[in-house]
Amino acid sequence: MKLIFKNLNVLRSTINAISTSMEVKEIVEAAGNNLPNLFDFSSFGVFWKEDLLLFLYQEESCPPDFTQEVVKNMINVFSILGEESIPGERITLQVEKRKLRPKQMMMDPKATLKSHLTLPLAAEGDILGCLSLNSDQPNAFDAQDLQFLSVIGYQMAAILKHFQRYSSIKDMATYDTLTGLYNRRFFEERLEVEAQKSFYSGIPISLVMVDIDFFKKVNDTFGHTDGDQVLSKISSLLKNSVRKKDTVARYGGEEFILILPGARLEESFVIAERIRRLVENTLFEVGKAHLNLTLSMGISNFPNHPVKSKEELIKMADQALYDAKRGGRNKVCIFAKKSSQWAVPT
Amino acid sequence: MAPTVKRDRGGKWSSDLVLNLYSNLLAELWEVVSALIGEAILALLFKLAIRKVEEKYPFLGSIDISEEGFSLDGVKEDCRTVAPLEIHRGFQGLINQLSQLFSALADGVINKELFPKVFSKVKEAERIISQK
Repeated sequence: MKLIFKNLNVLRSTINAISTSMEVKEIVEAAGNNLPNLFDFSSFGVFWKEDLLLFLYQEESCPPDFTQEVVKNMINVFSILGEESIPGERITLQVEKRKLRPKQMMMDPKATLKSHLTLPLAAEGDILGCLSLNSDQPNAFDAQDLQFLSVIGYQMAAILKHFQRYSSIKDMATYDTLTGLYNRRFFEERLEVEAQKSFYSGIPISLVMVDIDFFKKVNDTFGHTDGDQVLSKISSLLKNSVRKKDTVARYGGEEFILILPGARLEESFVIAERIRRLVENTLFEVGKAHLNLTLSMGISNFPNHPVKSKEELIKMADQALYDAKRGGRNKVCIFAKKSSQWAVPT
Repeated sequence: MAPTVKRDRGGKWSSDLVLNLYSNLLAELWEVVSALIGEAILALLFKLAIRKVEEKYPFLGSIDISEEGFSLDGVKEDCRTVAPLEIHRGFQGLINQLSQLFSALADGVINKELFPKVFSKVKEAERIISQK
């Protein structure tokens, strides 16, 4: 009876530790730290399908072949449960080695997987992954171990489901669903931070507003589905043409905006001009046709343009874009007080 | 205890009798395994096992599975024209699938618990039904 109470207490603290975890790795560690008080095992693993992550918490003397066997077995069981094959090479493996046994009980370097308990991590009918207890000893686990592991698994699955929901809500609040670029809401937030940083420190910042020329014609001629494909293609061109620290967002319709922190006016012009040329020289496949498209762009910059707020910076980039359109399109214009200066493409 | 299956007046096993037999066996299986791994996981495994055998035995697709348990009401409707031996084979296939899944998950831990309560009765049912 005393043993059961002790085990239930360990189970309770394991569940508490899992419930307060903030990420998958933390869940595995929280469980791993408590599990040795409940089971004798060589390796404890959690596979999370969404990120193709497999975490192993295992005895430090676990030989590499044993680890490989555990991984293979977990993927195999998951494939049976999820009715989908998971390519082993796509899985990211993270191994945490801990001293789970006294020195005299270290694992044989030739130890093989002799017994395991593997359960799906299931919530609301979805299989999110699996968790597994593994041992180099035959018949290492019994029915009570399975009961305890299933209770832990249910709690883990509930928390993982919560993570999954949170992450999809976060994605919705951050990304534009069509193009995968940042959305306008995220752009506003990022610009607030970057602009404040620049205004405070004097570090330059540039804003480039981008618009696809005559995009309405694409939609009218080929329909919105093909139009959407063009937007996606141009989005990826934009994303691949900027630096890592830059932000590319969909501003609305066929308009995009780039935040270039630290970029002086000349640098931002070079970047914008490179993008303009790249799009001009790209042949877009729309339905069965091939199209040439062009971009108009407007640039504002701090400190070249003496602005006091991010709104002013946006307004100036927008004005420069308007001038690029008015000047014949397929141009990059820099904001100027009276009318924007524009660069003739060479 | 041997399964409680009785012959009908003609001396043959009726579909209803075979269904009742397997309804009882599956209920026992559900009770034993849900205590070990919980109803939600067991329901998932049942659904998976059914998907694997229903191509050969389409009437098994009418088993209603949820976390609360299972119901064979739909199967009873579908089995009016199915031979009792075919029903027996279908359920036997389902239990084999489940057993394979249990082995994949927990080596022999689940099957060891099931053996005295369920599997021995499946074998007994096989013996009795095949006797006719």
